[in-house]
Amino acid sequence: MGFSAIYAVSSTDIVYETFDGDAVVLDLASGRYFGFSDSGSCVWEALIAQVPPASLVGRACGGGELSADDLDAFVARLTEFGLLSLAPEAAASALSPDLAGRLATAREALRIDMHDELADLVMVDPIHDVDEPAGWPVVKQ
Amino acid sequence: MKLGVVLPVYNRETYVGSALRSVLRQREAADLDVIVIDDGSTDGTAEAVRSFIAGGAPIRMFSQANAGVTKARNAGLRQLANDTEFVTFIDSDDISPPGRFAADLAYFKADPALELTYSYMRMVDQIDDETLEPVAGCDDRIFRGVHLSAGIYRRSLVERIGEFDEDLAQAEDTDFLFRIFEQRARHVFPETIALYYRRHEYNLTRNVAESRREFLKAMQKSMRRRKADPTLGDLRGFVQVTHPSGEGAPLRP
Repeated sequence: MGFSAIYAVSSTDIVYETFDGDAVVLDLASGRYFGFSDSGSCVWEALIAQVPPASLVGRACGGGELSADDLDAFVARLTEFGLLSLAPEAAASALSPDLAGRLATAREALRIDMHDELADLVMVDPIHDVDEPAGWPVVKQ
Repeated sequence: MKLGVVLPVYNRETYVGSALRSVLRQREAADLDVIVIDDGSTDGTAEAVRSFIAGGAPIRMFSQANAGVTKARNAGLRQLANDTEFVTFIDSDDISPPGRFAADLAYFKADPALELTYSYMRMVDQIDDETLEPVAGCDDRIFRGVHLSAGIYRRSLVERIGEFDEDLAQAEDTDFLFRIFEQRARHVFPETIALYYRRHEYNLTRNVAESRREFLKAMQKSMRRRKADPTLGDLRGFVQVTHPSGEGAPLRP
């Protein structure tokens, strides 16, 4: 990992939201969806806001500090899953005070959980993912 | 056996009569109790429903200020009769195919512990509102996806699962079904076509951005529940993209 690098969501097939501090990510191309630990949600939000991972090292997190190794492993998982990719042209952002505060009070280690049991539903159910011009379900290729 | 059929409706005077006729033609299958929740319609919906009631149909209609489909479904559940044993739903623009109730209620007769039948839906872009059948040659798909009308639910299961989550403006049906399968409800997946899902210009779920956000919220709620209670089941298996008969176009580009 280029530790001072900046990352961005890798494609428009990656959709995400945060509800009450819990991030959820859905890959429309694979049908896989992802949840995070509390610290993982914070770091995900930071990374997609173009905060460089390097600037998170040493940040207060759950009574300890984020280590370079933990961040390295976490970012590697995100890129392996195809959720993030390098954004060499992007400008770095600073961690927001809100995210810094949430990170400091997080209780769980950095983690992302992948789920694939709804892949068929995500990929073909027209009620929840309609190709608008066609108005009919389209299986992602 | 009494089957409560919950039908929330908002400004669907064009379609609600067809939906009701499709249910009422199945009166021989069960003691039907059709519960219509008029969610503040401003068109001729209420009059259309009243015309069926005036004709002696087993329909009870309740009107409320517009509150959205989630609250309307809950209002319907709260009106279930004391002696209702089974519950299902139909949306105001959909059609219940002939024989649909009889086919799936038979599974409950065969297995007194059964809590749920969950069947297929046929999505079509044209329905003949005289025959209540898809128009020959119309575009259609048959699959088992997420639709409340695909299920018949034993009353005790509905009570165990609880009401629709009013935090969800959409995907309340998804969340409800997720909770059922997380709870490992005893179920069967019949080959019945449980509904004709009518695609039309005004489908609620064609607002893709909002429906996707609400779907993500339902997923997040499910993950949170399963994280808090690892004994809950996962959601594998209840979606099926083709019907065993091979009818209907496969879900492919």
